[in-house]
Amino acid sequence: MTNFFLQALAEVGTPSVLGLIVIGVLFGIVGGSIPGFTVTMAILVVFPFTFAMDPVSGVSLMVGVFVGGYSGGIVSGVMLGIPGTPSSITTVYDGYPMAQKGEPGRALGIGVVSSFLGTLISVAVLVFFGPLIASFSMNFRPWEITALIVFALTLVAGLSSGALLKGLMAAALGLLITTVGYDRNSNLRFDFGLPAMGSGFEILPVMIGIFAFSQLLGNIEKLKDEKSDAKKIDTNVMIPYGQILKDMAGQKLNTLRSSLIGSLVGALPGTGGTVANFLSYDQAKKFSRHPEKFGTGIPSGIVASEASNSAVAGGAFVPTLALGIPGDLPMAIMMGVLILHGITPGPMMFEQNPVLVGAIYASLLIGAVVMVLCNLLLVRWFAKISLIPQQILVPVVLMLCAIGAYALNNNLFDIWVLFIFGIIGYLLWKAEVPLTPLILGVVLGDNLERQLFRALELNESWLTFLTRPLSALFLALAVASILFSLYQDRKIQRLKNAAQQENI
Amino acid sequence: MLTLTKDRALALALLLIVAVMWMESGDIRPPTSWQPYGSALFPRILLVVIGLLSLLILVRSLLVKVPERPGAKQLITEWFQSRRTILALFLLFGLYAALLPVVGYIVATIGFLVTSLALLMGINTRRKWMINLTLSCTLAIVIFVVFRYGLNVWLP
Repeated sequence: MTNFFLQALAEVGTPSVLGLIVIGVLFGIVGGSIPGFTVTMAILVVFPFTFAMDPVSGVSLMVGVFVGGYSGGIVSGVMLGIPGTPSSITTVYDGYPMAQKGEPGRALGIGVVSSFLGTLISVAVLVFFGPLIASFSMNFRPWEITALIVFALTLVAGLSSGALLKGLMAAALGLLITTVGYDRNSNLRFDFGLPAMGSGFEILPVMIGIFAFSQLLGNIEKLKDEKSDAKKIDTNVMIPYGQILKDMAGQKLNTLRSSLIGSLVGALPGTGGTVANFLSYDQAKKFSRHPEKFGTGIPSGIVASEASNSAVAGGAFVPTLALGIPGDLPMAIMMGVLILHGITPGPMMFEQNPVLVGAIYASLLIGAVVMVLCNLLLVRWFAKISLIPQQILVPVVLMLCAIGAYALNNNLFDIWVLFIFGIIGYLLWKAEVPLTPLILGVVLGDNLERQLFRALELNESWLTFLTRPLSALFLALAVASILFSLYQDRKIQRLKNAAQQENI
Repeated sequence: MLTLTKDRALALALLLIVAVMWMESGDIRPPTSWQPYGSALFPRILLVVIGLLSLLILVRSLLVKVPERPGAKQLITEWFQSRRTILALFLLFGLYAALLPVVGYIVATIGFLVTSLALLMGINTRRKWMINLTLSCTLAIVIFVVFRYGLNVWLP
């Protein structure tokens, strides 16, 4: 193993490939930090440039975009409160409040360092335990994947403190959105007589619509209420290195746990960064002695989110390479790049193309170093976005969202989807419905339905979900997650009441 | 008469959506011998879940006492009046989406940016107008060039 890894490192270490990784990382960060552009879009844009390259160069460039893109989400998440990618949704929970409290530099620094460590740990996990995780994932059949997705959704609903009912309802609503259009059997559903609805809704415009509109218009509303605070927030973009080192020193266990969760979830087919950051954030919250502080702008929340989503970048390669099953959309495109270069991802790849597998790991490793350097050196430049007044930023970002939605498929219908879901998102936000379970439902809906019916086609008894140990375990965890959320909500409520009484 | 609250409005709106979607699900092709579960089963399971949760939200909201407030019609009117800027912005975005294929990207984008910036920044000084027009025109053209020539994306 060491031999092929060293050989791969030598191939990736050439100036031209290193240059490509730097370009990829820079482009990824820019793509990830522009709301609505997303890491997927950045990968799609870079994809055509790899046509004329050899496999190692092409894959290295793409891995660079991948690593940069996942970290680029930090900038927009912290500064604008809009996740650049779905995998950085929970970064917003604590990164944005910390920035709002006047410490954007600290939030960004913690995020970047966590991303770096997450990537490093995931590469270490993959190099040594990759084959093991792959063989473990191979045991997952439709019953287990269905149960895992249900578990992920209940976890997210559990994250919506004090609004479990609305959280569960939002998740179901998200799943329902994915049922519009032609289904797996080519049957048309909920088209309401409109031909454009036949192909269903693209995830990206739905996601941007729900998040961006509620966030941006919420900012405009807040602007009216808190006029005096508007300037104060964005002035401090210095990176307090000492403070960040101190913060990170207290987060060793959290970093390790979150990175391992990210690597493991990344390796599970059909899940990806979105599940990883929710799962890791939830675990960090549950292990914390102060769960009530999550969401108020604490380092633990940012570390849990960023270490795990960056660890996915490494972990997601395992099912794609070893099983030929991409974990998420960016991975599906990455698989396309490999196929374009004449390599068929699948169980044989580790044996037939070990150097290319090693090159991917080496690119991830080098990409992580380049990412942390670029981010720390240029973060202030990226952070300048937040200095633009909201009155200017909002129309510009809305316009970029529209163009981003259009550019995904060159389809005007996607702008309408963005608009309609913008209105829905804003109204739901006003009704205090947590929007993240809805997004996760939209992201996982297709897969849940596919896996559920594949399971039922293989064995028509619904009881099989309970008789298969792993599937039963995931479902039990889903129930436990709901019960635990109820218990934790009551605990927080009791603490709040007690604090109020003390004040009186 | 019952006072309209956020939770009650949400639950009622969702129950209405569930009812409409349930009726629409009747148009989905029924199960066949080789598709024993049919395509309507999954969305119907979700509709039942959403319906039950909405009912729970509604029941819970009815158990909480709220102070007497004006009728629903007046509350809705007040709600809209206090959010005139937001509504105008939604309207401008809708117009932008509608005009994009008609007048093309450059004109529609400049139009959207100028009007929405004017709405949010105000138009009371010459300086604001200058910022507005310079930013709108420059940005619309820069984005066009980046997408068209840099990213090779054809804008409408």
